[in-house]
Amino acid sequence: MATEHHDDAHDHGIAHVATKRTLLTNWAVLTVLTILTVSATKIDMGPSANLGLAMAIAVLKATLVCLFFMHLRYDKLFHSVLLVGGILAGALFVGFTLMDTGQYQETNIWDPNSPPQAPNAPRPIVNQ
Amino acid sequence: MSEAEHEHSHDDDHGHGHHGSPWIQHHYDDARHQFDAGKLGIWFFLVQEVLFFSGLFVMYILYRAHHGEIYEYAHHYLAVKWGAINTGVLIASSLSAAWAVRCAQLNQRKGLILCIVITIVCAFGFLSIKYIEYSHKFHMGELWGKRFDPCATPNETPLLTKMKKCEGHVSSVVWDPNGGPDAIGGPKAGCLEKGDYDRDPKTPGIQAQCTVDEVQYADESRKSEKGRKELEACEMEKEANGEAHAKNAPCYILQINHNVCPAGPGAIEILKNESEERGNEWGVDVECNKAPAPVAAADPFAEAHEPVVLGSKLVAPPHVVTDEEEVEELESRPPPPHTNMFFSIYFAMTGLHGLHVLFGIFVFVWLLIRSIKGHFSEDYFGPVDYSALYWHLVDLIWIFLFPLLYLIH
Repeated sequence: MATEHHDDAHDHGIAHVATKRTLLTNWAVLTVLTILTVSATKIDMGPSANLGLAMAIAVLKATLVCLFFMHLRYDKLFHSVLLVGGILAGALFVGFTLMDTGQYQETNIWDPNSPPQAPNAPRPIVNQ
Repeated sequence: MSEAEHEHSHDDDHGHGHHGSPWIQHHYDDARHQFDAGKLGIWFFLVQEVLFFSGLFVMYILYRAHHGEIYEYAHHYLAVKWGAINTGVLIASSLSAAWAVRCAQLNQRKGLILCIVITIVCAFGFLSIKYIEYSHKFHMGELWGKRFDPCATPNETPLLTKMKKCEGHVSSVVWDPNGGPDAIGGPKAGCLEKGDYDRDPKTPGIQAQCTVDEVQYADESRKSEKGRKELEACEMEKEANGEAHAKNAPCYILQINHNVCPAGPGAIEILKNESEERGNEWGVDVECNKAPAPVAAADPFAEAHEPVVLGSKLVAPPHVVTDEEEVEELESRPPPPHTNMFFSIYFAMTGLHGLHVLFGIFVFVWLLIRSIKGHFSEDYFGPVDYSALYWHLVDLIWIFLFPLLYLIH
């Protein structure tokens, strides 16, 4: 019926219609980024740099999915605010949990004159 | 076509007072009103999902911050290939889900059905690959908590724990690095863990640098005259008394390098554990003389050709570790304690994600049935859009799980 007419329409009254080109381009970029992130592990740049690159690619992929597959780019701003708010709440969970966890480690040395033994230290078999 | 059918079957009962799909409820002003309300609802649900999963990410990040060595070691076990294929499968299904929304919005019923079918097939593909991964991990004992088998050999190189008869078997994942050299061959080089032993916690610093890492067979060329005679005597005694004797007292000469005991070894005792449970295992107890004040490192080869004889044992120059040996040693190192925690986290995160995929299959089957019945139109495509949004979120979570659980290097 109205298919021909609507084929490349961006808005059909109720919600935004993603174009074929947007969907296919987004899919292709996501696939390329996946190949890129797998190949990047074969280059050893140090554990933190490798992790940083992998996470940067993951964030980029997530952003692409949100913007184009989930229509957030054309959608109401409030939906984006909700999602970002949820992610920020998650960041708070992580931050607050990481803040004091060091307090429960046995390796905290309060008295430098009597350092505790490291946990899981090998059994000393050598006698002096 | 489909609309005509609906007008025929539903319009009489409802009487909406506005045009469009019979699925528009009375209490909404129009199709757009209903769509927006549903969309807000699904976004609240998705945010709830983000918070739900963030708990698991907290667990992951916390454990990685404190026990990074476990994650580093975990690269022995990772199925990168399957993880990458699954990422591709999910991205493809995300495309088909987004396309399904487009088809629904444009009244393309056949396209909609096709896209939903592709999404369902991809979801099944994802779960099938997960099944392959999980069953392999079950088979290998790469599991959570007490089910983790530290003796599992993740790659071609057997773990040292295998050679050591795997003392930290199954339930215990804390290894005793000094658990004894290989039972069959007697003490071997590199069987015992190096390390500085802080023997007295009340005294700061390292009291004795007694690294017991160079226990090895006496090198033929480096045997002293006395040592050789002893060995010959031992061999003769063994021959005279038969194999039974050899079992109890095999003939070997220990070499303890100078680094083991900077001040020279005191007494060296060879211990043998003959309990039935552990089989015949060998241990070495080295007693060191008191460490002197630190001096400049001695030339390790200074006494290479005339080992010092201590009682019936030999003292030989240290073995210089080559790069290949170091790599081999690193690769054959047993899993660090609590490696099972990686698998607890791995199964918790991928398992919960897998459940979401499974739930997604039910949702898309429901969509498939409704789309075949022709319920969706340009006025009413909310369920397709909401389900696709859910599916994209499942994809989003996987986008993060994949590098975090499969690409650790």
